[in-house]
Amino acid sequence: MTPAIYALLFVLLAPVFGGLLAGIDRIVSARMQGRVGPPLLQPFYDVGKLLQKRTRQINPIAEPLLIAHLGYMAATGALLLGGTDLIFTVFVYALAALLLVLAAGSANSPFSFAGAERELVVLLASEPFFILMMVAVCKVTAASTFGGVLASSQLVAVQLPGVLLAFVVVATIKLRKSPFDISISHHPHQELVSGLTSDMSGRLLAYVELAHWYESALLCAFMVLLFNWSVPLGLLAFAVAYALEVLVDNATSRIKWQLVLRSTWAATLLLCGGNLLALFVMGR
Amino acid sequence: MSLPSIVFALVALPAIVGAILSLFTQATLRNAIVVIGGLLVAAMAVATVATFGGADGAFFGLPGNMALGQTLIVVDFGLTAFVVAISLKHRRVLAPILALAQFAIALYLEVAGRLPEPDPQRLFWVDRLSMVMILVIGLIGPLICINAIGYMRAYHRSSPMIQGRRTVFFSLLFVFLAAMFGLVVSNYLPLMLVFWEITTICSFLLIGYTRTDETIGYAFRALNMNLLGGLGFGVAIVLLSSQTGGLDLAILTHGPAAGALLPAIALLAFAGITKSAQMPFSSWLIGAMYAPSPTSALLHSSTMVKAGVFLLLRLSPAMSGSTVGYLVAFVGLLTFLFVSLVAVTEQNTKKVLAYSTIGSLGLIVGCAGIGTPELAWVGVMIIIFHALAKSLLFLVIGTIEQRLYTKNMENLDALLSLMPRVSALFLIGISGMFIAPFGIAIAKWTAIRAFLSVPGPAGAAMILIMAFGSSLTIFYWGKLLIKILSARRQTDYERSIENRVSRYEWLTEGALALGVIAATACVGLISNQVVGPYALTAFAAAPRVFLAIDPAILLVMLSATLLLPFVAVLSWLNPTYDHSDFYASGRSANVGHVMGAALGGIKRVTLRNYYLDGVVSGGLMFRTGTVACGAVLAAMVAASVVIR
Repeated sequence: MTPAIYALLFVLLAPVFGGLLAGIDRIVSARMQGRVGPPLLQPFYDVGKLLQKRTRQINPIAEPLLIAHLGYMAATGALLLGGTDLIFTVFVYALAALLLVLAAGSANSPFSFAGAERELVVLLASEPFFILMMVAVCKVTAASTFGGVLASSQLVAVQLPGVLLAFVVVATIKLRKSPFDISISHHPHQELVSGLTSDMSGRLLAYVELAHWYESALLCAFMVLLFNWSVPLGLLAFAVAYALEVLVDNATSRIKWQLVLRSTWAATLLLCGGNLLALFVMGR
Repeated sequence: MSLPSIVFALVALPAIVGAILSLFTQATLRNAIVVIGGLLVAAMAVATVATFGGADGAFFGLPGNMALGQTLIVVDFGLTAFVVAISLKHRRVLAPILALAQFAIALYLEVAGRLPEPDPQRLFWVDRLSMVMILVIGLIGPLICINAIGYMRAYHRSSPMIQGRRTVFFSLLFVFLAAMFGLVVSNYLPLMLVFWEITTICSFLLIGYTRTDETIGYAFRALNMNLLGGLGFGVAIVLLSSQTGGLDLAILTHGPAAGALLPAIALLAFAGITKSAQMPFSSWLIGAMYAPSPTSALLHSSTMVKAGVFLLLRLSPAMSGSTVGYLVAFVGLLTFLFVSLVAVTEQNTKKVLAYSTIGSLGLIVGCAGIGTPELAWVGVMIIIFHALAKSLLFLVIGTIEQRLYTKNMENLDALLSLMPRVSALFLIGISGMFIAPFGIAIAKWTAIRAFLSVPGPAGAAMILIMAFGSSLTIFYWGKLLIKILSARRQTDYERSIENRVSRYEWLTEGALALGVIAATACVGLISNQVVGPYALTAFAAAPRVFLAIDPAILLVMLSATLLLPFVAVLSWLNPTYDHSDFYASGRSANVGHVMGAALGGIKRVTLRNYYLDGVVSGGLMFRTGTVACGAVLAAMVAASVVIR
């Protein structure tokens, strides 16, 4: 199969993957809390319902921004699997994330604005990691594309233990899990109401949810980069990491943005930066 | 016309326009001269590039093989006398000392006969880099001059206590352009130094335009720092005067420098670092923000700081692979990191733009210091895109400042509903600066790729700096974008604000916005026809492709460039859109941004951006960066002496 077909498959199948993952997440979380939980396909029913509901527009520019957010999130995964340069892919990913911030900020309302600002902070917190991770993967495998990394004989994770640990920390932000879920929340009783999405309704909210599914699949693909010997191995690693995230999510409460920024930067600098330094010093 | 004569005409034309402008005080006449003169300069710049064609480079002397003779020392004397006179008037000590020291050097070289007679056929050197600079100066500079007609009119209307000296102002703008043209075509270093010092003095006078104590202070700061750089340039000339061909820039920089040449290269790089406002010399460019906005636009985009990075890119092949080069690169990259940290804590939009300029220049300095064809390519690409986008941003912020009477980012709230057309221009500028694909983002991408092959801890450090620095730029641009894109219902008065923008501003800012889009669309052409061949020639490198545009990247990225302007147009077509109320915990909120308070009554909603208070301290970061870069700079000069 050519990379273009992988790209197409990502665009088609990533929402299925992300939606199922969200369904499993909800069941597992419910069991941890001693509840039965919703059916597995509940996230799909939710999005279906959102698409049918009336949409209130606070600011008409939010819709094109959110469609672009969804589009670029899908494009990031398509570019990644389609064989575009890994570092470039990360820039597109950041653009996609920024568009959600802008859509929320455009409502100019207290909760959306606070959510947008906090999302900008977590974007600042997580972005250095993704650039460094891709650089490290390129350095280890001497490849610059997804296919190249998978074809490499080096097992990336063995040489990048620091990056792997930092990934687990930073993925908490991107998967919107506690203690780093400061910009958005699925629990409406929290201080931020629902942050970023406070002023989004109907299909606008459906775009955000779909984009998040793409993002989950994208993070899974990033994990496969680290366990490049086989795709099932990468999927397994992602499953383990995700289970850990769900556990942490249920065991911790959200922290202030200052601590999110400090802890993520510290993890990136020490774990990821240290690992990268070792790679450069050893001349690989 | 032959190439030499058209180049001389190009340098002389703005100088003549400047001289004519100094004679006329009548506004209508002056405006006409500025517009006609500006268009002529632009036409001349295009004609020069057309005449040059696709050649690798050309050398020539003065018409009729005239020798420079004592001309340079006479001009030098004039400049020094001017600095001494104006410093005495304002009771400043440092500037005259620096200026006299530099003149003493020139006099010593001349009297002692140590200055070897230059080859009369190699006084000037034009190549593709000169052509890029000529287009940047010659197309953007005049647009800024024309824009200033509208801006200065509004400026003096809103600040009646400032004495108008627009005759001098417009005259200086054109003289500045002439000096820049001279600088980028010079090959004989003492000749380049004279143009270098003219730009220093022009920027000094422009920064001090309002003649308040505050701006005079900033003007002298700029003068001192740049004269210090000029002194470094002068000492470099002394060191090079004993080397055969040392004062010939093309010969000096045709390959990696070694031995006795290194200290001179280090001092020239030092001069370039002062002029491009790298730390520890960044404060002069920040102080320059208090000048009228067209001055900022000019200093930041097509003149002054670009002279600094131009010299460093010229030196790049000579610095290649040396410790001196690596240390120069670290000055630039550390500057990029630290000013980005400062920028996230800054509320003044003009200052945010200034820090962003210093950061972008830092990237260019980083690229030039390492000295590979790829990084030289990146450096020139950043020069082009930064010049277009930043001049547009400064002119737009000037337009906004004169209509909303604020420079504070927090007060740009709902700009898209207040000034939709100006916002569209603003968004094109921001897209060009950081979202746009083929501008700075592609450059950063290529730079990170190139740093991957830098061996040892230096490579890792460079990549860490790039990762954190790039993320910080997303944060401060993101904040600005949120403010611009947010919505609010406007009053009738607010709706009329945009009608007061002058046609000079509309035309020039519109032209620059088109320029940003055109440059983005033509990036492949610019890379393959101009910047790529320049990098290969400068480094005598084997042919390679610098930018392979994959159709997927092209599609994704072109759409990204057009997205925000499209959103702006959408909002502009719906000016009276009836915004729904936002959610406010169940209390009634309305679009006038008031909401019901908990104990009755109403409260106004104010939303303020995050400035990372308590996590990042702007002042501390500025001081830390200044000390760190100062140390690296000192190490750079020391290393150049030790290594020989």
